[in-house]
Order: sequence, then structure tokens, then C-alpha cells
Amino acid sequence: MVRAARILFLAVLSTLALAGRAAHAKVTIRDDRGVTVSLDAPPRRIVTLLPSLTESVCAMGACDRLVGTDRFSNWPKSVEALPKLGGLDDAQVERIVALKPDVVLASVAARLMDRLESLGVRVMAFDARSRADVKRTLAALGQLLEAPGQADEVWAGVERDIRAAAARVPAAARGQRVYFEVDPTPYAAGPDSFIGETLRELGLRNALPAALGPFPKLNPEFVVRTQPDIVMGAEASVADMAGRPGWTALHALRDHRTCGLPLPTYELVVRPGPRMGEAAAALADCLARLPPPASTR
Amino acid sequence: MTSDAQRRLRLAVGLSIATALVAVAGMAAGGEGWSPARLLRDLGTADGRLLVFQIRAPRTLGAWLTGALLGLSGAAAQGLFRNPLADPYLLGSASGAVLGVVLVLAAAALGGHAISVATAHALARVGLVGAAFAGALVGVLLTLSLARGAQETMHLLLAGVVVGVLLTAASDLVTNAAPDALRGKQAFLLGSTGFLGWNSCAAMALGLAVTLPAAWRLARVLDALTLGTETAASLGLALGRLRVALVAVIALATGLAVSQAGLIAFVGLIAPHLVRRFAPARHGFTLVAGAAAGGTLLLIADVLARTLIAPQEVPVGILTALLGGGYLIWLLRKRRPA
Amino acid sequence: MISLRASEIGVSLGGARVLDGVSLELRPGWTAIVGPNGAGKSTLLRVLAGLLAPDAGEVQLEGVPLGAWSLPERARRIAWLTQQGSTTGDLTAREIVLLGRLPHLGIVASPGPADELAVDRAMEEAQCADWRDRRPQQLSGGERQRVLLARALAVEAPLLLLDEPTTHLDPPHQASLARLFRRRAAAGTAVVSVLHDLSLALVADRLVLLERGRVRAQGPTDDPALHAALVDAFEGAIRIERVAGRWAAFPHLEL
Repeated sequence: MVRAARILFLAVLSTLALAGRAAHAKVTIRDDRGVTVSLDAPPRRIVTLLPSLTESVCAMGACDRLVGTDRFSNWPKSVEALPKLGGLDDAQVERIVALKPDVVLASVAARLMDRLESLGVRVMAFDARSRADVKRTLAALGQLLEAPGQADEVWAGVERDIRAAAARVPAAARGQRVYFEVDPTPYAAGPDSFIGETLRELGLRNALPAALGPFPKLNPEFVVRTQPDIVMGAEASVADMAGRPGWTALHALRDHRTCGLPLPTYELVVRPGPRMGEAAAALADCLARLPPPASTR
Repeated sequence: MTSDAQRRLRLAVGLSIATALVAVAGMAAGGEGWSPARLLRDLGTADGRLLVFQIRAPRTLGAWLTGALLGLSGAAAQGLFRNPLADPYLLGSASGAVLGVVLVLAAAALGGHAISVATAHALARVGLVGAAFAGALVGVLLTLSLARGAQETMHLLLAGVVVGVLLTAASDLVTNAAPDALRGKQAFLLGSTGFLGWNSCAAMALGLAVTLPAAWRLARVLDALTLGTETAASLGLALGRLRVALVAVIALATGLAVSQAGLIAFVGLIAPHLVRRFAPARHGFTLVAGAAAGGTLLLIADVLARTLIAPQEVPVGILTALLGGGYLIWLLRKRRPA
Repeated sequence: MISLRASEIGVSLGGARVLDGVSLELRPGWTAIVGPNGAGKSTLLRVLAGLLAPDAGEVQLEGVPLGAWSLPERARRIAWLTQQGSTTGDLTAREIVLLGRLPHLGIVASPGPADELAVDRAMEEAQCADWRDRRPQQLSGGERQRVLLARALAVEAPLLLLDEPTTHLDPPHQASLARLFRRRAAAGTAVVSVLHDLSLALVADRLVLLERGRVRAQGPTDDPALHAALVDAFEGAIRIERVAGRWAAFPHLEL
């Protein structure tokens, strides 16, 4: 009788344990499209199609689970050896499917999601425009990889680094209006973009009004009229600015209050990922090196 | 005056008035949208005058000049190929220009660590415009050599298509190797009048001053070609050489336009079409009016681009596609029997 | 006096021998080139006009090889009318006829009074002056053909090579065209027309019968040996008889 009870007890226990593990192991996440993706276990084979997502996955310590990335992902160094699967617009669907990923991480803007999903591949899409987006993405990845604690740590690190960077910004730069050019078309970073938010944390104001959205495509004349105090952008673009019609009138250019970011730094700053703290530090360094504003104004 | 001559006169007058009106309107279209009041205020301050005369004025003129070059090439291409749907990009100039741009962008990116920063900047500044222009000419030369001169129009057309495909593939290869060139390439593909300054205007005005008279002199050849190649040859025309001259004019005009403003779509196709629909005439008229119509069309698109969502801008290529596509749709619907 | 001589012309197109050993001489007068379908008549006209280079033999214009003449000089002496009279573009009838003055004007010179006169005359002769401001798309087949003919006449060349000039023309206009050719021929022009209408061809001064790329027979139109050759070339499907003082050809149908 006792033996039967013991067997029954063990059976119940093991059933509970099994059920518990199944419930514990099944992963269900809602991505930024509102689509709920569920996996039987945390993914072991991951494909990322956005550099910031690659960096986020690696920051969570899951770099070894990446089996493929987009062509622009280049940090950390180890991902350069991974198969490159194109960009957001021309990702190579067959190659992605051939890699048999458990999940593909992309941005909401990617066209190929429907195609991949119709082929049975699980896709998770994330917005990447504001700081809140980055925090949410990290949290979602934490859930996905079953390491929520890690996600919190990474985010805490980012916030810490940004605050530290803000402390290094010289007083003279505080409150100055900054124009951050993302692309020479020109596309600029508005106050509600993740870049704009970082700049705000660093004590700067944005030359663009928030109403224009996170990354507006501007009329170049607007930039000249608004006369930003500081101009930031990729090194090559900033060097070209004086050649644009009418831009020699920009005080910031004349007074050399510019941050022309070399390519690796520029890439660092325009990726909404776990290295935003480093990005803030790089920007703070540049601000510290700026010549003082012209006193005659 | 015959009704034909009347229509030509009306078109000429209409285009002149439209250009003048839109150009003036363009001067009032800036970062705050369309605001004549703002324009008047600007004219009163030194800073404002700089905005108006260094940015807005050359941009407005530049848009017209770009459109004129494209309209001229389009009219010449439609005459050369005897096809109302021909556009100036058919001869390989577009794909050549893109390849030129991509090569310079990639060199700056790839060689960015090997070549000095100063060289990269110089490369980028002169390079993009020069590379696009050189690329356009190289593309057309390739087409000509593939077609073995311009003896047969069909060969020219096929060669243009082949060269287009090959050079586009080459661009894709390069952007694969240097992904940073991709953004620049896509911006170029869409086209932009945003940074046309007085230098651009001077280059394009010079180009127009050369290509327009040259095309006008070749107008009679295009007229003769409407009778068929053999008849034109029987009239004593050295067709091979004359076609090459036409191709050269098209290449020069298109190359200039594209190097300054990128690949703006539809202007070269629609402008001559519009002219012929409203005032059919000999090529002497169609070429010049096509240039004028192209200028007006792009000018309208540029002013709209600046005004609609100011201070943001709609890419001008989207507006020309909308205007052009809309016109084609209207055309199709008109032709359908009631 | 204009003269065009072809000696042993041979042409292969697409592997087939289209013309072989063709020799003839064209002088002032009206010569009609006839023959069954596929005999090579249009090809011969192209070779004579210098539009197609033969791979054997040569063509001489006034004793000088055709290739030695400059293009404009050749074009001033030889006017060619194609069989496929299609036009694209927006030129009016008069502007089309004016193109016939290209050999004299070149691409740049403006037309002068002599050119305008030539155009007016050509349009009168071809009977298309009434629609000088209309466009070919608005004209009927016959009206369009007369415009294209006027274009060829406007060249005022001493040698006319016309491929099926009577296409789309109704009998009255064919008749007036025949009268035009006779007038021109009498005035010293060499009119050479490819004609499928044998009755019309028999009105000409000379006939050249082409059969399978070879000259079967040539000579004055009223030569009985020529008539016999004609009947044979058309496989006995025609009869040539004298009607109302003139030779005419009739379809000979065995019903």
C-alpha cells in the first residue's frame, strides 16, 4: 500500500515537474507589431537583420546563438565571420530559411516578414526609433532568451553610462541647440528619436521641433535659417557641408563647432542598441573638445 | 495663322507664363512652406537675402535647368527611337551614372582607412558629380560600341538595355562589398533638387547652351527618320554618323542633369509627350518646347516638394512620378471609347 | 543625260540567292520592272538606289561606281520611293514633301523660294495639294500614298526609282500617275517603277521581267517575245492582248 502510494506520489511529482518544465520552457512574446510569437524553448539559432539587434543579442551574452546577420552588422568582431544575409530590403530569403533559424529578429520596416512567415519561419519585429523602443526591445529579448535579469543589467549599464557622459559635458555646451544629421539627403534626428533623447540627456537642445517626428527629411534651407549652435554628423558629411549652397552662413560651421564623427563612431551613435552609453560618451568627448562659442552674438 | 501654328503659339505662351508664375512662387517656398510675407521680410535682412539668393534662387533655376535638359533628351530619344515611350535613360546613361556614384562612395568607404581623410573628402566633393557624369558617358559609349555604332536603331535599343542590366549588376556587386555605399546610392536613385547651387546652375546652363542648338540642328534628321530609315538614307543623310551625334547630345544632356540631381523619373518621358499631344509639330519645335516643358514640370514638382510638408520635403522623384503617372492614366482613360 | 547601269548584280539574303547575274541599263524614259512575287524586284530597286550593297557585280551612275558618289550627290540624282509607306511622327503633308528637298538643302539650310516652288509643283502633280496641312494619320491610304509620291517628286531628281507607286490608288489616280510618268519620261527623266499591275506596266516604254532573281527578258513594251516571256513567267495565268489600240494583260482563268 505504501509502495503504491510512493509510486503514485512519484508519478504525481514527476508529472507536476514535467508540466512545470514545459510551462517554464515555453516562450511567448509579443513583438512590436502586436504579433504574438511563441517558441517551445528559448531559441538556439537566431538570425538578426538589424545591427542594433545583433548588438543587443550579443550584449545579452547570446552571441554564440547567432547563425546569420545582415550585411551591416559588424560589432562585436565575432559577428563578422557569420553569414551575411543582405539588408532589410534585399534579404536573401532562401539563405535565411536554409539556416533553419528558430527565430528571425528584424525591424518593423522589413518587407520580407510576410514572406518568411509564410515559409514557416518565426519572425519578431522591433521598432528602433526611441529610447523606449530600445528598452522594450532589450526586455523582450531578455524574455526570449530567458534572461530577464541580464536585460535589466544591460539597460542599467546604458543609463549609467549616459549619466556619466552627461557629467562630462562642459557647461558652455549645455542648453545649446544641436543639429544632428543622420544622412546627407538631409535626414536629421529629431528630439523624439533615440539620438535626440541621448542629446537631451547630455544637456543639449534640438534645433528641430518635436512636431517633425523622429527622423524628418528636411528642406536644407530650414537648417540654415534655424542656425543651430552645434552641428553633428558623419565626418564626410560634415566636411561637405560648407560646399552646400548657402551653408557657409551657418555660424556653427564658421566657428568650427562641429562634431564630424569618424565612421565607426558614427555607426555607434546611429544604432539604437546596447552601446548607446558608449555613444553618449563619444558625443560627450566631442562636445568637450569643441571651441568655445563666439562671444559676439 | 493655321490652327497648328496657333497651338504652337499657345503652348509657347502657356509654358512661359507657367514658368514665370511657378518660379516666382518658388521664391516664396522655403522652410516655412509657401509664405510670400516671409519672402518680403527675408529680402529686408542680410541673412534672409542670403537664404533667398544663395539657396532658393539657384535651386529654383536649377530645377528648371535640370528639367529642361531631361525634356530635351527625352524629345531627342523619342525621335531617335521613333517611340513615344522612349526616355533618355534608355541608352545606358542612368545605370552608368549610378555605377559611377557607387564606385566613389565605395572607394571613400572601403579606402577610408587606407587613403587619407583629406583625399576622401576631396574625392567625395568633386567625385560624386564628376563620377555620375563620367559614368553616364561611359554607359552610353558602351552602348554605342555594343551596338557597333548607330547603324540600326533596334541594335541601339537592345544594346542600351543590355548595358543597363550589366551596369546595374555591377553596382549591386559593389554595394554588396561596401554596404555603406547603399544609402548614398538609394538617395541618388530617387533624385533631389535640394542642393542645386549657382555652380550647378552654371554647369547646366552651359550644357543646355551647347546641347539645345546641337539638337536643333539635328532636328531635320529626326524629321527624315519619321519616313523610315531607308527613305532617310535615300535623301542623302549619313545616318550612322548623325545618329551618333544625336546619341552624344542625349548623353551629354542626360549626364549633366543626372550628375547634378540624381535619377529623376518621368520628366524626360512626359514632357515631350505633353508637347506633342498639345501641339504636334516638326522636331525643331518639339525639341525646344520639350526642353521648356521639362523645365516647367520639374520646377512645379520642386516647388511642391518644398511646400507640401514644410519644413520637411517630399522626394521630388515621387512627385514627378505622381504627376507623370497621373498624366499617363488620364491619357489611357481618354483613349478608351465612351 | 542620266544613266544607271547594273552589271552582274548578285545579292544573298538570309541564305537565299535573291538576285543573280542581273544586268540592265536605265536611261531617260519609263521602265517598268515586273515579275512574279518574290522575284527580287524590291531588292533590285534597293541595290540600284545604293541602299543595299550587292555581294557581286556593281552599279554605275553616269559611268562612276555608285559608292564613289557622295551621299548628297547621289541623293540629288536618284529619288527612291519605298513600298512600305509608313510614317510616324507629327509632320504635316507639306512638311513631309518638303523633306524631299533634303538632298539639296542638307540638314541646316533653310528652304528658299526654289524649294517651295518644287514642293508646290510636286504636290500638284501628285494631286495632294488639297491637304497640305493635314497629317498622314488623318488621310486615307490613297491620299497618303500621293503625299509620299510627292515627296519623291520634290527631289526633282533625273532618276526616279519607285517601288509600287500605285499602291492604294484608284483607277483615275493610277491613270493620272501614268500620264505624269509619260510626261516626265518625255522630258528626260528616267522613271523606273516596280509594278504588279501588268496593264499599267504595259503602258511604259520598256519592260524588265525579273524571275527568281534573274532577268528573264527585257526590251520595248510591245515586243511579242517579251509578251510570251511574261505569259510563261506568270505560268500562263495571264493573256496579253491588244485592246483599244494598246496592250493590256488579263487574268486567264480556267474555270
